[in-house]
Amino acid sequence: VTGFDRVAARRSQQVSAERVAGRLLIVVTYLSVALLAVGLVLMLANGISPLDAAPPLDLTTVVSQLASLDPAAFLWIGLLTVIAAPIGRVIVSGINYSRADDRLMVAVSIGILLVIAVGVGTALTVSV
Amino acid sequence: VTASLAAIIFTAGVISGSLGALLGLGGGVFLVPFLNLVLGFPFTAAAAISLTTVIATSSSVSAGRAGKQLINMKLGMLLEVATAGGSFLGGITAQLIAQSVLQQLFGLVAAIVAVIMLTRLRRRNVILDPAADPGVLGGRYYEDESRTTVTYRVKRLPVAVGASFIAGNVSSLLGIGGGIIKVPLMNLAMGVPLKVATATSNMMIGITAAASAIIYLIRGGIDPYVAGPTVIGVFIGATAGTRIAHRINVGYLRLLFVVVLLVTAFQMFQRVLR
Repeated sequence: VTGFDRVAARRSQQVSAERVAGRLLIVVTYLSVALLAVGLVLMLANGISPLDAAPPLDLTTVVSQLASLDPAAFLWIGLLTVIAAPIGRVIVSGINYSRADDRLMVAVSIGILLVIAVGVGTALTVSV
Repeated sequence: VTASLAAIIFTAGVISGSLGALLGLGGGVFLVPFLNLVLGFPFTAAAAISLTTVIATSSSVSAGRAGKQLINMKLGMLLEVATAGGSFLGGITAQLIAQSVLQQLFGLVAAIVAVIMLTRLRRRNVILDPAADPGVLGGRYYEDESRTTVTYRVKRLPVAVGASFIAGNVSSLLGIGGGIIKVPLMNLAMGVPLKVATATSNMMIGITAAASAIIYLIRGGIDPYVAGPTVIGVFIGATAGTRIAHRINVGYLRLLFVVVLLVTAFQMFQRVLR
């Protein structure tokens, strides 16, 4: 086995891992759009205008409100799923790079997640 | 009124999603002025909604391009670290350079980049031999125009990492999406084909936007009643844009990008004059 073969095998492994991450992203993306579509239909059925004041996001009750067909709950969960998708992709890619023993890219994935975490931490601790 | 307003917001989403997907810009550059100037939403509310739509464009493009090897994940993630770092340190730059100077500089650079792109409308940055070595960060993909698998190599990585840092820094200060800097950077400086550059940029801006969107979400800045129809529209538009992108001649795509660059440069100079 030559060095060229090893590089080619590693590249092919990465391509298939990216394919898995891509498929996962497809599922999450369609799920989020489906949740938003249900929320929009419920919103229009209840005569709620886009200009009406929306209830704030309450993570402790939002899931239980899905059962009562609350439009805002579907929209909130849909939006949370939308926002989670790219972060999930970085995590999945990081795991794939770790399996391929690509230390530089594992560090890069962790770096991206750290920057996001610092941003969230700042938003939680610093009052506006 | 309720349904028609939702339909208007949805349509705006479709248009900005399709343009954003085609050009690797996320669509915020089109959507924010519409929500702010046409529908009268406060700028920060429009920007927050725009962030969620940028993620929708990014995910839609990434999902549509899955398995086609148009997204260079490794290159995108490497540049993303530099961009995120630059964006995070925006506060320091704000103390060193006046915003009006930054706007003038950006306007000037955007205009110069537009002219360079115009002179290279026909350049494709690909090697027609599929067996050619793409190097560590390059790649191969099926090119519809030549109906064959082509190879590309990535050049000047250190320069691009530095430029990405500046791009993240400047874009956070000027309130513009990073795509408008990243696409020409990858295409002109790094030798990445335009279609790969736009797809990779779309993936990157999704990560950047997600980081900012969480902050807006925590601080109650996102309105779900407006964001819902907009995101659905953007998703549909971006999905259509991704499919159209395969068939569009890369020269036309570049020309469209040049127009957006010139409009952005004009807006920057206009902000300075206000």
